Amino acid sequence: MAELLQATAAALSLLFSADPVLWHIVGLSFSVTLRAVVFSAPFAILVAFALALGRFRGRRTLISTFNALMSLPAVVVGLSVYLVLSRSGPLGSLGLLFTQPAMVIAQAILIFPLLVAMAHGALQGAERRAWETALTLGASRRRAMLTLLHEVRFGITAALIAGFGRAISEVGCSLMVGGNIRGYTRNIPTAIALETSKGEFAQGIALGLVLLLLALALNLSLGLVQGKGELR
Amino acid sequence: MSGADLTLSAVTIAFGGRRILDVERLTLRAATAVVLTGDNGAGKSTLLRIAAGLLRPQTGLLRDDQRTLAWPAAAAVLRRAVVYVHQTPYMFDRSVSENIAYGLRQRGMPRHRIRERVGEALAWTGLEALAESNARTLSGGERQRVALARARVLRPRLLLLDEPTSSLDREARERARFLIRAMLAEGVGVIATSHETGFSIRTGEQRLHLHHGAIVPAPDPPADDRDDARGTAMRQDRPHGA
Repeated sequence: MAELLQATAAALSLLFSADPVLWHIVGLSFSVTLRAVVFSAPFAILVAFALALGRFRGRRTLISTFNALMSLPAVVVGLSVYLVLSRSGPLGSLGLLFTQPAMVIAQAILIFPLLVAMAHGALQGAERRAWETALTLGASRRRAMLTLLHEVRFGITAALIAGFGRAISEVGCSLMVGGNIRGYTRNIPTAIALETSKGEFAQGIALGLVLLLLALALNLSLGLVQGKGELR
Repeated sequence: MSGADLTLSAVTIAFGGRRILDVERLTLRAATAVVLTGDNGAGKSTLLRIAAGLLRPQTGLLRDDQRTLAWPAAAAVLRRAVVYVHQTPYMFDRSVSENIAYGLRQRGMPRHRIRERVGEALAWTGLEALAESNARTLSGGERQRVALARARVLRPRLLLLDEPTSSLDREARERARFLIRAMLAEGVGVIATSHETGFSIRTGEQRLHLHHGAIVPAPDPPADDRDDARGTAMRQDRPHGA
């Protein structure tokens, strides 16, 4: 117990002493995850549009599949991306393994089904009438899509926040394809895993607190955003 | 707002193997009123959505002026000529003014002209006081007026109204009917559907009935609607219909 208190006190002093190593890890986590969301979201939103407005065979099966894949295990995504990017893999020649782009790709894949499912849910809520109204008033399909996105902006924002939260806290992908290289691919979850395995709890707890506060902040903003999108 | 007739022919559509619509020929004409009655599920909304270019039929041709077009070219022509208003009009999550301006902005009209037209439309519908309110906060009758104003500013050749008054109270119904008649007087062709056989926009309107997806003469037209054969906005050249 005394050890835990000591480690927590050390963690707090680390947090407030502007420790450059710790804040670099936090910054790197943000940067990688933000890029993953930016990379994944446009494709996910397009797929969500196709699922919401398209009338094609297998649409329902696809929707169920994306819903099921929302809880895709991070370590499985990590393993798959590792195999594809490893030297003997199909994209091995790109030399991406153990780089930040590899982490971005893996996180983007991890959150893709979540973004699709949540964006589809939001678009479904907007109904066909919104789409038809935009078209009958003279909007092109592209402009009608932008109008629909504006109509469901709270739902889409909620999807982006949820995707960000899922990606920034996962450890499986980042560890496997990033390699936990200090100063380059070490992010919050992989650093916590490493420090804990070394018995260096102070930095682990400090990073854990950052992650915890971040999770709380994200969920709070998610709640606020979803509250704004309520029925009128 | 004037223009040549638009004639739809051989329009059929089926969902899940069941034929929903089978209309051999109908003509959409400016400045005339048509009431299309039919039971729920008779295909009224489907027909209007095809005529608005929002739904692609399995077969069908459109004759516009000297051209005969198939889908999807027909849909593009219909979407330019026609505005469709849902039974419960969808209000964009924006102010009343922005809702009315929506279509004008899509057409790339300069801002000062949009402001002018929106101002006129607000005055026309008596919605000036609500101009900056979010359209989602309006009552059913007010929403219907916004939808009519939003359509009118685009100066369409034809206005398609799906059950325009069925969810409104008596006063809102009368106001909506008044605005629809005003648009007719301005030269817009109007087709309105209703599941009530007694529904009417104005005397002298053409009355048609949709039965199992085919247009037939209205079963029991009110007496004052019988005598105007010239005011035909939609002509079904297959009186034996169903």
